[in-house]
Amino acid sequence: MQISMLAPEIEIALLGLLLLVLGLLLPHKGRGIMGTVTFLGLVIALLLSAAGFGQEEALFNGVYQADSYGSFFKLLFILAGLLVVLSGSAYIQRLGRRANEFYSFLVFALLGMVVMAAAGELITLYIGLELMTISFYILTAYLLNNELSVEAGLKYLILGAISSAVLLFGISLVYAVSGTTVISEIAGHMQFQPAMVAGIILMIAGFAFKLSLVPFHMWAPDIYQGAPIPVTAFLAVGSKAAAFAAFVRVFMLALPLPQFEWGLVLAVLAACTIILGNLVALVQTDIKRLLAYSSIAQAGYILVGMVAGNEYGLKGVLFYAMLYVFSNLGAFAVATAVEVETGSTSIEAFKALGKRSPMLAAIMTVCLLSLAGIPPLAGFVGKFYLFSGAIGAGYLWLAFVGLLMSMVSVYYYLMVAKAMYIGTNDDMTPIKPDTSTRVALWICLAATVLIGVYPAPLSALAQTAIQLF
Amino acid sequence: MNLSDLVFIVTALITVTAAVGVVGFKNIVHSALSLVLSFLGVAALYFQLQAGFLGLVQILVYAGAVSVLIIFAIMLVMDKDPDESNRSHAKQKYWGGLIALLVTLGLGAAIGSTIWPQSSGSLPEDSVGALATLLLGDYVVAFEVAALLLLVAVVGAIILAKGAGEHD
Amino acid sequence: MLSDYSTIGIFLMLTLAFPLAAMGMAWAVRPKPKCKPDDEKLLPYECGVDTIGRTWSRFKVNYFLYALVFLAFDVETIFLFPWAVKFSQLGLFAFVEMLLFIGILLIGLWYAWKEGALEWH
Repeated sequence: MQISMLAPEIEIALLGLLLLVLGLLLPHKGRGIMGTVTFLGLVIALLLSAAGFGQEEALFNGVYQADSYGSFFKLLFILAGLLVVLSGSAYIQRLGRRANEFYSFLVFALLGMVVMAAAGELITLYIGLELMTISFYILTAYLLNNELSVEAGLKYLILGAISSAVLLFGISLVYAVSGTTVISEIAGHMQFQPAMVAGIILMIAGFAFKLSLVPFHMWAPDIYQGAPIPVTAFLAVGSKAAAFAAFVRVFMLALPLPQFEWGLVLAVLAACTIILGNLVALVQTDIKRLLAYSSIAQAGYILVGMVAGNEYGLKGVLFYAMLYVFSNLGAFAVATAVEVETGSTSIEAFKALGKRSPMLAAIMTVCLLSLAGIPPLAGFVGKFYLFSGAIGAGYLWLAFVGLLMSMVSVYYYLMVAKAMYIGTNDDMTPIKPDTSTRVALWICLAATVLIGVYPAPLSALAQTAIQLF
Repeated sequence: MNLSDLVFIVTALITVTAAVGVVGFKNIVHSALSLVLSFLGVAALYFQLQAGFLGLVQILVYAGAVSVLIIFAIMLVMDKDPDESNRSHAKQKYWGGLIALLVTLGLGAAIGSTIWPQSSGSLPEDSVGALATLLLGDYVVAFEVAALLLLVAVVGAIILAKGAGEHD
Repeated sequence: MLSDYSTIGIFLMLTLAFPLAAMGMAWAVRPKPKCKPDDEKLLPYECGVDTIGRTWSRFKVNYFLYALVFLAFDVETIFLFPWAVKFSQLGLFAFVEMLLFIGILLIGLWYAWKEGALEWH
């Protein structure tokens, strides 16, 4: 009976293994089906996770949690994985004979995220984190002929290993003082000791690196730029959401607010992240770097909800993380389609996209405006939850910083739109993305608009998921 | 100070000195050998803490397999003058040293001034058995994910290493 | 408190002391030359043929791949050991878990085999 609650995890693990084995068994020609197999497998995982939503059960004495909070994030990761596979299939096919392992690594990275979100215990959480990051190290360096990609992989490996070590050291100190690694039990054994404070600081630093919060953000732009673009998309959305899932669970359950004033520390981090991410994004000329800095800033917004720590704020975290999947992946899907066609990720390549492919340009504009928080798109509702949570918790200045910088962000998002609609391009051949990319794009567009116009269902889902806290 | 403390101090000194050597040696092979010594020092610390199984793991996996892997990796990429293979960046060396020192002092102060909870009761008789019960009981998810982690690492390293080989 | 492991520690110290004592003894009784030895004399004594070219060259990737596969199965051994110690008490569920664990790693071996990581040419 317990095992059936792990159905999504088991299905994803089996899918990853199946992809690896299929790659070994099938002749080269038969490998075209890999994308389809991945897609179908992820759809099944999505259904299994949706079926598990609403269950609240602690498995293995609390070491693993099958709860709505975990299920919400599982749905989020699998949706992100599906969109990445759909929009990236044309790109992945170009990798040739290594394409099937690419799918397999994507699935294993997804499994790592799922384990992170559902882990009720710090060591399990750490193993999930490592599965995710190790898959990402490999995926980042996947373009071996491309110096940028290899350099990005190496940088990510070294910095990622350091940050994992910092996180693990923090976990070990918390364990040493509290005597348990089960998240829900730590609060009961909490003692205010210097080593505990040191442990919490180290854990914040470790998570902040994974979330690329300023000042732990230096790795993100280089790695986002160097990695293959579907990987960048998955990294920006999935790995960030997974880190948030674990971060919120650990800090809200194990280290409750009244005992430790980590709220203010995170508030300062959030403010720095929002300000620096948005300001540096203003001067970017490469779409991947622009989206990298934009996603740094977005992580700052989400952190505002966690700082607030109240119902609105936490609901905002989940709500925003979900809409961020659609808006950001929509933008990345357009960037992928443009890169497949033109081979360039510079903003120059987007010039006159409005004439070359009106659909791509329109979806890019909508997604970017949603990220900027323009009503009536999804991003506006998300930011509304986050900032009203912050105001409710007394962080008026933080909400103000967030609002101000959101206005600044409109500028660089519109710069892309300007290039697409006003710029001229020597190459005016129309860009026609393949069917699966078009499906992904329409899903992103529909979700971004629908969530913005009618946020109630997602809001209710997020509400159920945060009952835990 | 009793004998146990003395043994701890000697092993800890050897471990830390060896770890500093990893960073400090100019020849990267010397660094790797220094790393092996550091691994062995950590193993000795585990033994002193009565965690015999962990000590064995440390020797078998780290001092045995990981160090061999590291040395093969060095052999794979080496075509520089050996004495210049692990040069440190002149300016950042001091910054790095300063930061390391500050972190050590900060954490040392925090750990030193903490009143640690003392666990009551004695060590379990059969610690390996207790480990097995936990690993295959409550921690089964982490256990199976660890297998997948190893698989991903092996497959990924093969892809990257072979890909880099083909490229030449 | 001295534990069982301290016996090993004492042995370790003895094994360190022995070569040091032997070398120290040799140093003490050997004739001390007046002038400094020349370069020729300080060369390491080796038998065999002189090496040609640099010995410090790049090696085949296969060494690394072997070590990698070895590492994976080394870690597996570590996990097998506690399981084997408790085998009779753990029961069927643990047996299945272990089979899964080994199975997953065997896929890694299969992959290495198929990709030619274990071939030498």
